[in-house]
Amino acid sequence: MKGKRSFKIMALLIIAVMLMLAACSGGGSNNNNSGGSTGNTSSNTGGQSSNSGNTGSGSGPAEEKPAPMKISIMIPSFSTELPDKSSPVWQRLEEYTNTDLEILFTPNSSYEDMLNITLASGDLPTIMNVGKTPSVISAARNGAFWDITDYLKDYPNLSQAHPVVLNNTSIDGKIYGIYRARTLGRMGVTYNKVWLDNLGLQPAKTIDEFYNILRAFTYDDPDKNGKNDTYGVVITKYTGPWDIMQIWFGAPNKWGENENGELVPDFMTPEYREALKFFRKIYSEGLVNEDFAVMDSAAWNTPFVNGQAGVFVDVADNARRLDNAMQEAAPRDEPYTIVTQAPVGPKGHRDMPTSGWSGMLVISKSKVKTEEELRRVLDFLDKLNDVEMKLLLGYGIEGRHYDMVDGYVVPKENLDAAITQELTGMNQLLMFIGEQEPGFAPTPINAQIAEVQKANEAIVVGNPAEPFVSEVYAQVGQQLDNIIGDARIQYIVGQIDDAGFDAAIELWKKTGGDDYIREINELYKAAKGK
Amino acid sequence: MDTTINHQADMTDLDPRPSAALPKRRRSKWAKIRKDYWLYILLLPGLAYFIIFKYLPMWGIVIAFQDFSPFLGVLKSNWVGVKHFVNFFNNPDFVRLLRNTLILGFYDLVFFFPAPIIAALLLNEIRVGIFKRAVQTMIYVPHFISMVIVASMTYVFLTTNGGVVNEIIHELTGQRINFLADPAWFRPLIILQIMWKETGWGTIIFLAALASVDVEQYEAAIVDGASRFQRLWHITLPAISSTIVILLILRLGNFLDTGFEQIFLMTNSLNRTVADVFDTYVYQVGIRQGAFSYSTAVGLFKSVVGIILIYGSNYFAKKFGHEGII
Repeated sequence: MKGKRSFKIMALLIIAVMLMLAACSGGGSNNNNSGGSTGNTSSNTGGQSSNSGNTGSGSGPAEEKPAPMKISIMIPSFSTELPDKSSPVWQRLEEYTNTDLEILFTPNSSYEDMLNITLASGDLPTIMNVGKTPSVISAARNGAFWDITDYLKDYPNLSQAHPVVLNNTSIDGKIYGIYRARTLGRMGVTYNKVWLDNLGLQPAKTIDEFYNILRAFTYDDPDKNGKNDTYGVVITKYTGPWDIMQIWFGAPNKWGENENGELVPDFMTPEYREALKFFRKIYSEGLVNEDFAVMDSAAWNTPFVNGQAGVFVDVADNARRLDNAMQEAAPRDEPYTIVTQAPVGPKGHRDMPTSGWSGMLVISKSKVKTEEELRRVLDFLDKLNDVEMKLLLGYGIEGRHYDMVDGYVVPKENLDAAITQELTGMNQLLMFIGEQEPGFAPTPINAQIAEVQKANEAIVVGNPAEPFVSEVYAQVGQQLDNIIGDARIQYIVGQIDDAGFDAAIELWKKTGGDDYIREINELYKAAKGK
Repeated sequence: MDTTINHQADMTDLDPRPSAALPKRRRSKWAKIRKDYWLYILLLPGLAYFIIFKYLPMWGIVIAFQDFSPFLGVLKSNWVGVKHFVNFFNNPDFVRLLRNTLILGFYDLVFFFPAPIIAALLLNEIRVGIFKRAVQTMIYVPHFISMVIVASMTYVFLTTNGGVVNEIIHELTGQRINFLADPAWFRPLIILQIMWKETGWGTIIFLAALASVDVEQYEAAIVDGASRFQRLWHITLPAISSTIVILLILRLGNFLDTGFEQIFLMTNSLNRTVADVFDTYVYQVGIRQGAFSYSTAVGLFKSVVGIILIYGSNYFAKKFGHEGII
């Protein structure tokens, strides 16, 4: 009897809990709905104004408007606060391109995994941003994407795509996607300006000066607080800074020619070893954060912003982000950061380029069945390269997210987080092909960044093997990269010596590296012969 | 509920009809099913679950014998026989992976498996009820903390750049220990993490077994003058030994399952030589590199070893007079 009663009480409790849960979730969805509807009303006016803009300029795309095309598009995202369909930016984009968009924002850290799983499922979105990874190459060869080589010339913006970059992104000589362009000479060395001034130093012109700055930042109390609590350059698990710095020393960019005109991987060159010795030295002297090999790259900026580290080796435009973060903590009139080109090394002035592209947008055959549909998708991609769209997706809506002053974009300050969110991540849709949009006003830091990136174009070192697709690498690339990547870190922290690094190279050769080198050289000869 | 079922079962057992002839017996079987059809209907969702989510996906194993491409599908992909298995066994990675996985599995068995038993026995000796329950609750809590959080807590405590543990060690000895990057510390860290997280949770099943021990046995033993340790050795342990054996068999079946999440989160460039195990390798080549067939072959190899271990240990358990699970 007692058991039965407690059973009843239990059942009542469970029902009560379930009802509460239902009520909660119902409330949640209600909230969402109301949020959505307010967004809709405000954006309707936005939509109308852009419409009138279209008729005013007389560049309406078609006489009669077909129904909006449904397009799903998968792109990486770097934030968790992302816009949805209620965002006026999103709605203007749909209005302008006459599409019904579904943007699949995928966290960048797991983008590769999600991409491979999506490819394996066979159910692809209309458009995806992909790199030239083994699974993408095999998907392309098996006919997952449209070959758009012969279509590009028909579109006003897409036809202006750079042939060299297109060649780099091609697979077996065919173009499957439209690349998202990136500044070629994007890298720069960012210093804490306050620390340099405190110590009476100038940004480094040579590697020796660079070393002296690291030492001074570590041992000469650059923040004048009387404590030994600073160090030189901050590095994380992400190996980008090492990759950049070894180029300064004369190491090739991934592949370089030896005296016989054959390509050899960078880590087999003596210059690479010189660079490694330098890294090992600065690590053993404490000029780099000791825990770099285990530090998460999400926290990369933090030590610089908090005044623990004074040098940052990455893309030059990060100087602006670092400055912004420091200004937020304690505003001051002058920028906190100063950014310069790479220091000059023993083999001259060299720096690492980006590959000129960051993924390409491919069109799936599973969603786009006919050529007519393909034309419409290409038209959509072409329109994304219009100046209007570059402004909209890059900077937002004029008067809402930014103002135009003297032909420059000036972002509005202290925007509500909800309004900023309408724009977050949308710039990942852009390919930056064709006519350039008006950019930021040349504030001191922006001017420096632009200057560094412009000057870099003369000193960047290309990767001669960039366009090649290697079968061996497709099979064992990850293991090969791990062998050398791990050995490099072990060498820097002093776990292995030169003999150990040579052993790692031997292992690399045995694991498939020898075949990889042979294959790349065959492709290289064939390409040169042409 | 229980009483009705038993009642019905008794009824069927007492069925007076003769059951000598085969057709008749079959009929009586059907009669049984007809009689208890509600129970069989109740069974259906469970069966459907196993068929749909456990047995049907198993057909995916065939891609281990193909050069599978998602765009050709299972039917059109090329059959390559055991090529992927041969490649895997000849790969220089194989020995390293096998060694790392076996060592981790062995450490897990030796250090982690007894931990909940010891903890349960200790808890069982506590006489003050409220204190016992408080301790139990406290040691359950880590089980509910996500492995990601455990890994980042480990980082925060142990990093050489301002981690609490290293600061204390530095104060005492003037040195810092690079727990996170030193390969020698990788396996101890993994085992310590898992012990911290799961020991408390693991005691539940042993405490349940301990609860069923007849109190009179203890009383009799006290009258006979048995010491506390003798009572533990001669009454408590034998009482839960079958539970221990069954859990051990189950554990051996998962011997090669080192847990993907934890290993993946704790791996870095400096300890990868000891950290790579089958699970992380499958992720690396399968998901990151898109070598679906190859990684399926690796996973299948692991499963086959698991089945052999589970049947083998079950066989030996029965041989030594314990109840098995199969």
